[in-house]
Amino acid sequence: MELRISHLSKTYPNGTVALKDVSLTIPQGMFGLLGPNGAGKSTLMRTIATLQEADSGTVTLGELDVLRQKDEVRRTLGYLPQEFGVYPKVTAEDLLDHFAVLRGITRRRERKETVRALLEQTNLYDARRKKLGGFSGGMRQRFGIAVALLGNPRLIIVDEPTAGLDPAERVRFLNLLSELGENAVVILSTHIVEDVSELCQRMAIIDRGEIRLEAEPLAAIESLRGKVWKKIVGKDELPAYETAHRVISTRLFAGRTVIHVHAPAQPDPSFDAADVSLEDVYFTAMAGRLTHEASLAGAEAAS
Amino acid sequence: MKGPFLETMRFEVAYYLRRTSTWMYFLIFLALAGLLMMIGGGMWEGASLSFGGAGGNIKLNSPYSLAVLTSVVCLFGGIVTAALLGNSVYRDYEAGIHPLFFTSPITRFSYLGGRFTGALLVNALVMTSVPLGLLVGSVVPGLDRERFQAFRLDAFLHPYLVVVLPTLLFTGAIFFALAARTRQMLPNYIGGVVLVFGYLLAGTLMQDLENQRLAALLDPFAANPIDYVTRYWSPAQKNARLLPLEGVLLQNRLLWGGLGVAVFLAVYARFRFTHVAPERAARRRAAAAEAPAHAPPQRLALPTPSLHFDAGARWQQFAVVFRRAFWTVVGNRYFLAIVAAAALFLAIGSGQVGKIFGTTTWPVTWSVLEILGGTFSLFVLIIISFYAGELVWHERDVRMHQVHDAAPVPTWVPYAAKLAALAVVVALLQLVVLVTGVAVQAAKGYFNFELGLYLRFLFGAQLVNYLGLCVLVMLVHVLVNHKYLGHLIVILYVVANGFLPSLGLEHTLYRYNSGSLGEYSDMNRWGPFIEPFAWLKGYWAAWALLMAVLSNLFWVRGQETGARWRVRLARLRFRRPALAATAVAVLLIAGLGGFIFYNTNVLNEHRTGKEEQRARAEYEKRYKRFENAPQPRIVGASVQVDIFPAERDLRARGRFRLVNRSGVAVDSLHVAVPPTAEVRALAFDRPARRVLHDRERGYAIYRLAHPLAPGDSLRLDFDLDYVTRGFGNSVDNLFVVENGTFFHSTRLPSLGYNPAGELDSDDVRRRYGLRPKERMPRVTDPAARRNSYISRDADWIDFEATVSTSADQIALAPGYLQREWRQGGRRYFHYRMDAPILNFYSFLSARYTVKRDRWVGPDGRAVAIEVYHHAPHAYNLDRMIDAVKKSLDYFTAAFGPYQHRQVRILEFPRYEVFAQAFPNTIPYSEAIGFIARVDDEEDVDYPFYVTAHEVAHQWWAHQVIGAEAQGATLMSETLAQYSALMVMEREYGPAQMRKFLKYEMDRYFEGRSAEQKKEPPLLLDEGLGYVHYRKGSVAMYALRDYLGEARLNAAIRAFLEEWRFRGPPYPVSPDFYRHLQAATPDSLRYFLGDLFERITLYDNQAKSATWRRLPDGRYEVTLDVSAQKLYADSVGNERAAPMRDLVEVGVFAAAPRGRDRDEGEALYLRKHWLPAGTRQLRVVVDREPARAGVDPYHKLIDRHPDDNVVDVREAPR
Repeated sequence: MELRISHLSKTYPNGTVALKDVSLTIPQGMFGLLGPNGAGKSTLMRTIATLQEADSGTVTLGELDVLRQKDEVRRTLGYLPQEFGVYPKVTAEDLLDHFAVLRGITRRRERKETVRALLEQTNLYDARRKKLGGFSGGMRQRFGIAVALLGNPRLIIVDEPTAGLDPAERVRFLNLLSELGENAVVILSTHIVEDVSELCQRMAIIDRGEIRLEAEPLAAIESLRGKVWKKIVGKDELPAYETAHRVISTRLFAGRTVIHVHAPAQPDPSFDAADVSLEDVYFTAMAGRLTHEASLAGAEAAS
Repeated sequence: MKGPFLETMRFEVAYYLRRTSTWMYFLIFLALAGLLMMIGGGMWEGASLSFGGAGGNIKLNSPYSLAVLTSVVCLFGGIVTAALLGNSVYRDYEAGIHPLFFTSPITRFSYLGGRFTGALLVNALVMTSVPLGLLVGSVVPGLDRERFQAFRLDAFLHPYLVVVLPTLLFTGAIFFALAARTRQMLPNYIGGVVLVFGYLLAGTLMQDLENQRLAALLDPFAANPIDYVTRYWSPAQKNARLLPLEGVLLQNRLLWGGLGVAVFLAVYARFRFTHVAPERAARRRAAAAEAPAHAPPQRLALPTPSLHFDAGARWQQFAVVFRRAFWTVVGNRYFLAIVAAAALFLAIGSGQVGKIFGTTTWPVTWSVLEILGGTFSLFVLIIISFYAGELVWHERDVRMHQVHDAAPVPTWVPYAAKLAALAVVVALLQLVVLVTGVAVQAAKGYFNFELGLYLRFLFGAQLVNYLGLCVLVMLVHVLVNHKYLGHLIVILYVVANGFLPSLGLEHTLYRYNSGSLGEYSDMNRWGPFIEPFAWLKGYWAAWALLMAVLSNLFWVRGQETGARWRVRLARLRFRRPALAATAVAVLLIAGLGGFIFYNTNVLNEHRTGKEEQRARAEYEKRYKRFENAPQPRIVGASVQVDIFPAERDLRARGRFRLVNRSGVAVDSLHVAVPPTAEVRALAFDRPARRVLHDRERGYAIYRLAHPLAPGDSLRLDFDLDYVTRGFGNSVDNLFVVENGTFFHSTRLPSLGYNPAGELDSDDVRRRYGLRPKERMPRVTDPAARRNSYISRDADWIDFEATVSTSADQIALAPGYLQREWRQGGRRYFHYRMDAPILNFYSFLSARYTVKRDRWVGPDGRAVAIEVYHHAPHAYNLDRMIDAVKKSLDYFTAAFGPYQHRQVRILEFPRYEVFAQAFPNTIPYSEAIGFIARVDDEEDVDYPFYVTAHEVAHQWWAHQVIGAEAQGATLMSETLAQYSALMVMEREYGPAQMRKFLKYEMDRYFEGRSAEQKKEPPLLLDEGLGYVHYRKGSVAMYALRDYLGEARLNAAIRAFLEEWRFRGPPYPVSPDFYRHLQAATPDSLRYFLGDLFERITLYDNQAKSATWRRLPDGRYEVTLDVSAQKLYADSVGNERAAPMRDLVEVGVFAAAPRGRDRDEGEALYLRKHWLPAGTRQLRVVVDREPARAGVDPYHKLIDRHPDDNVVDVREAPR
């Protein structure tokens, strides 16, 4: 089963173009949707999660028309929205049980088992009698995942799940997510490159409503190997480099500016070959310079 | 400090001005005010609205009317205030942005003060829509300009400043404070509910004269103080005066405005820029329990439960959502607080209601239910609207909506579950009413709890209504998708729905949720109301189903809230189940609606108010010219009436004997039959041809083959049916009911044109091109003497009647029972009068219990006394019988013999609230007296009073009857009132009289204050209750005091003897007045004239009083008084009158402990001749004085009776 998105477009009433002719094919496994804030990630996620309508285009999950057969999709959908609250005065166990019924787990014994298992998996079992109002951000997020996993969904959508988590929590959270990708389509949207590089077999980069890149992370990195060069420069030299080279990123490292430049060959000896990371892929894609090559590379890798 | 304050304020104002909802509020109130004004202004035919009795002389754009209208419209402004002021701080918490403000370098004062003043300014701006709307509504073209006076701007602005702004300051501060303190919106609504209850409570307090001042002070919305301050204003004063910012009104405004400021300051003092929201505090406590998030040790292994989406699963899902929703509402301490507060208010309020002359009734179940259930209904309405909004928004408010919306649950599940939760909450509230009601009854020592009635009223009648409302309110909140706007629309709907009938939209089929069980009567229970109620509720249930479908289609699920997408989504959702439900609903609506329509418009005639007005106008236009056509008189009536209580049918057969006394030959007979009657036969004993038959207006003209010569007689035979078929649009044919039939001879044919059928209101008459109508012919009109004011087609008649009814009932008519028999399973009663009576009689039938007694006069003649009553209503039978006896004692001694051998009191259901005297027969409503609970020490014994009044009518109306001219009722109602007062005074003493007369005086002033045409002096009364009863009581009591009882009674007796059983020509009021004049010494002629010929008002006042001990041990009291006498014209323009009047001066000892301070023993009481202006009086008394004043017993008509008496202080040496 795969999720197929074709020519999806959405413009909000205030004129914001959230999605512009988006087409993606998402197979089973973890799929990372990477993009800056406001790129249209959440709109796309909500549309797949049956909560938003598209102006045009189609989304299918296997045989299901996601935009029309909402109820059928919901039966197999696990959704963790970017931002969500909880009933503060309800315990974790109770609320999970509540959602379990809504998800169709109506046999009491099975529900108990499921709730218990999920609480254990998300390590909330000891806190099951605690009111959700007292949960930390991480606990809440894990609770959200528990809700999303109820009833073994085959389509799991997690929207910016790591925002606001401390590093340790984030790692653990991603571990949990990675387990899910084995039997389901899992779409993880994030603006943190590491999330994707650590977890996803496939990814897409979206910016201003458009897909800039759809690729396998490793293949994309591979395609850039030998084409990214770095150099430490002075702050005042930066403008000159930016005009002379295709600078894809600048960042500070120990108080100095490190630039990464995209070039087929070493621009000059003062540049060193950079260790290509997904971040370079991301910035290159965002700079609009990689689409073609990387797509090709991705296609090769996939074949 | 000033900078940030102004900036915060500016920001707040700008924030709200950018929001659409702010302008929606403005527009809604603009429209509301404008519409009310236009409706009142006669924009639409048949639509009428009146607030505070505007109309006729009181112009719609008078300062008074505008003040009342403004205060009414602004009652609803509380919702806007809750939204604006409440949200002012709350939205920071809601958005979680408050830490930004709290950490910025602004002071608490700038933050709170800026927000508060900003929001307040916006709110004040929004409320300018009210005067603006009223103004626009009063100048648009198409209005009846006669209802308006010359435009004056200050009349529009003044109420805004005096009523709106101080109220706003108070309610605004309360809402602001609640949100700032609790950081929630819910307490805001509780605050709102408490305010509303305060207002309602104040309203019920107003009914007792002793509490009015307090009630006026307690009402934060200023409606009661406006009422209190203006209640004695004459129409002319209402048109001219702005609300005076003084006295109670000023105190009220200062109190509530000041309280607003105080509340704000208190919030300010206690407000802290803290980050610890209540929720966060809990989190800190829980922080220790932070669960480590380490990776699971083994691979993810989750059980694979089976998923179910069948009916059983839906039911379970429904159940969990229901449970969650229900506990969201009920498991909240604020909810419990609000319910407790409501129950408390109910218990307090229940003590006040139902009072007549300050006397309460027994807390019988229906009255408790009407009071509690009625008062509570506003509360339930608020609860429904508020919680419907909360439930619809709940997931979004806690930001769980996306998870919920993505769950595989059909949309109807959350909708239905929430609706059910709301319904169960309402049912619980009804249970609260039940418990409170039973507690109130028990607390008052009444233990006949009719639990069945409680259940049927609360859970049958009312809950069904509330459920319909729940469905509608949910739909509003779903469609509007803006919480506060939703609330406002709901309130407006409720108000509008109440007003629809007066807007000319009267049919039950298009007033949502219409159908009420009407008035419950202990005698007849819900009787005829049940059937239409049941059908209508079925009909509305079908509509509710349709609304439920609509709610489902438009239920917000997901992110799309734009109208375009919602419509598109609704279309997508409109699939088989929704289609099927729609089809069922539409079929039911068509079927039930058709059936109801068949009943209301085919089986019965439905006339709108507009059609009714037109018919009456047409009646006058067509037949007025026959008003003076000579007609024979009815001289004898022999009637057989068959009452079928179970079927609610009636057959009236009979014959009238007519004699031509007109002096000319009569060639055509004008016969009027009520249009609701079906005429089986109507014939004369000689050939006649019907030349005109106007069935709609019930008017027919028969031409006699041979004219009826003067002195010749004629027989009219008639056979009429009144058949109840199905049910009408309103249940108004309540004269034949299952238990408690009561109707008048007006159901039988009558002769000639009757001006009573004309339109009364000059405002309405103008629309149909009719000239203003005089209420009664002038006293000098000799033609008026031809008829008594009771009957236009007869004088004194011979009367007999046979009345039949079902086997278990007793049927009655005036006369003495000749024979009683059974035949065909029915009971028959034959009554006959042994002397001529007025052509005015009635028929009753019910399952009566009879209590009998007798009175024996000094001459040994016995009078049988019988009370026919509903068995459980035995509370006051002895009082009534006692009153009959005492009345017979007094009246026979003072005025002359009683003409009958019997006095019968007959109870009838409370569909009408009066008692009425027919010859030897007094029908008496179950609502006045039968369930009164009189404390003989304290209370006015009104069952005694009403009985005495009706017995007195056996003299005043049934022995002497006035001509149909001005002053007619002076000789019946005023004299009956006086006679009853004398009997009462003998029984209960002058102190009770004072209390009674205080109410009479109050009601006189209120009556004249709402006078639409003109106020006549007593002598020229035009059948106006406030004149002939209220002013009549006061005037006659004063005259008795000034002339002496014996002298006055002798004059009255002389009048009676002159006119006993006489007419035509019938006496007019000067015929009576001559006897009074003869009895009045010259020195008091001015006084008699002031009472009867003029509208006289005194303004007497005690300024100060001191005492000094004289050498002989006695006390000299120095009393400064001022006196003024005013004459008013018919609309209440006053002018000072020259005065040298006899006014009572009194000095009183201290009242005994525990008594009212004015109940001290009189040490000095004598009448003094007082001129207008101030004057010092010296009086010597034996004991130490405590109180002193002028006219201490309020014998003179004085608008400010409270300032007549002052404390006496010891004079400084």
